[in-house]
Amino acid sequence: MTIATPAPDSSDSTPVGLVARPSRAAYWLIAPGAIWMTLFLVVPLGMMVYVSFWSQTTFKIEPILTTKSWVAFFSSDTYLSALWTTIRIWLLVLLSTFVVGYPTALFVGLFVKNKTLATALLVLCVIPFWTSFLIRVLAWRPMLGKEGAINIILQAFHITREPIEALLFTELSVIIGMTQIYCVFMVGPIAFMLGRIDPNVIEAARDLGASFWRIFRTIILPLSMPGVIVGGIFVSVMVLGEFATAAALSGRKVNMLGNIIVTQVGSLKWAFAAVVGVILTILMGLVVAGFLRIVDLKREL
Amino acid sequence: MQTTIIKPVLGVYTALFLLFLYGPFVVLGILSFQIGPNGGPQFPIIEWSTYWYQHVFGLTPPSRIAPLPIYEGLARSLTLAFMTMIVSTVLGVMSAQAFRTKFKGSDVVFYLIVLGMMVPGVLVGLGLALVANIIGIDRTWWSTAFVLHVVYTFPFAFLVMLAIFNRFDPSVEEAAWSLGVSPIKTFRKVTFPLIFPGVLSAMLFAFTLSYDEFSRTLFASGRDLTLPLAIYGTFSIEIHPNIFAFGVLTTLFSFALLAVYAILMTVSLRRAKRLAIQEDA
Repeated sequence: MTIATPAPDSSDSTPVGLVARPSRAAYWLIAPGAIWMTLFLVVPLGMMVYVSFWSQTTFKIEPILTTKSWVAFFSSDTYLSALWTTIRIWLLVLLSTFVVGYPTALFVGLFVKNKTLATALLVLCVIPFWTSFLIRVLAWRPMLGKEGAINIILQAFHITREPIEALLFTELSVIIGMTQIYCVFMVGPIAFMLGRIDPNVIEAARDLGASFWRIFRTIILPLSMPGVIVGGIFVSVMVLGEFATAAALSGRKVNMLGNIIVTQVGSLKWAFAAVVGVILTILMGLVVAGFLRIVDLKREL
Repeated sequence: MQTTIIKPVLGVYTALFLLFLYGPFVVLGILSFQIGPNGGPQFPIIEWSTYWYQHVFGLTPPSRIAPLPIYEGLARSLTLAFMTMIVSTVLGVMSAQAFRTKFKGSDVVFYLIVLGMMVPGVLVGLGLALVANIIGIDRTWWSTAFVLHVVYTFPFAFLVMLAIFNRFDPSVEEAAWSLGVSPIKTFRKVTFPLIFPGVLSAMLFAFTLSYDEFSRTLFASGRDLTLPLAIYGTFSIEIHPNIFAFGVLTTLFSFALLAVYAILMTVSLRRAKRLAIQEDA
């Protein structure tokens, strides 16, 4: 990257053409991508905010500004409970992906000394992502159902006498499904951070007589925090925007904000869907900003 | 020594974790061999058979269970994934190439691009549907859904290429430039062959992400369904083992794709290495 250093401002006055060429070309190279993202990402999101203040008639929206849809959202128990459901499921899935994923990350990142084996284990974690997302969701149905695999196993070992019906088509099934689908996003970043811990630090602590628990609390956990934050951001953004898993595993009983958007669009209530979209965006922004406040990622990574 | 206990415990835990990741899929695979057409999507297996696989391919006599409406969707999804792959990869290579020099506003543009993979499908999907609605254009899989697929996959291609360029030795390009070779020709003859393994990875990412994309497509495509939408449609009605059989088949397809990628990758890496040796000589 040695030739790439001069500031673009001075490029016109630089005598050597070799240096000027790349920086002016940069704008031509970046333009198509930047325009594409502006037109098809920024404009739609801006439009969503704008339309949330439009007037909604039965099947149409009109550009007469009003806060009616906003008032409707905050005065309806159904929608407020969807907001609460979204937050609850997000927190539970965040917690469960962390609890379920951390020990695996610890094993892969810290305890497996053989690099090939560590890579192989991570690849094993990623392989399920080569199957379709919807198929992965669907695969939980024969697992959790009343005559599903889990109930059969539990009964075979005489742990339960009756099949547990609460496993499928409840909030629990949604959380189990999402944990399995998203926990890899937690394992990856944490294992990456753990792999960078200098083994001498842990060795030194052990020589000084620190117990494993103490080493974990004072060295391992703090040093892996950036990984937890990155994983947390991944999981949060994906879970907050979810609707398919909730619909498919709860039998459409659990409604998250995403599900509300889908139904509102289905019944052509565009302005209202836009309100829910804006609320979801704000929620996500708050969550991500909150995570970034805990750890300064730019400094830590 | 405490760690001597902790390591095996964590090892066993990791094995259980992998079981948790793979379990549902193994069960799905087993149940796809249920007898048809009367065997249901649950245990026990009444009799092993490949009935539901034949059912997916339309080889069974008509029964009360309708065949999966997947063929048109499959063609559309493959076309869409191919289009997305080409455009995302081209945009990704161009943008990453631009980022090799510092330019004004590069920070903003970086976040603008990465935003595309972070914003959930529901939000962009809804936003674009609103735009299309207001300016009065029809939503179809090859127009509105296509541009959103690129919004989603282009950041992945961009990041892959950025990583590749980070490790790229610019001295070979400098050599070409100083010999008076035009930048475009330098890119074609020197840079591109060297970054080709990265380009392949970007293409693989773009293709598979687009092929499986669901939430953006749900809002942005019109009446003609892509494969994931067709699959989602079958969720609401009673499910049969034919969808399990389909799940196994589509997974095999993904693995085949991965194998093709691995082969191309090996070949191109070998070629890039040979090229690098030539440069050194």
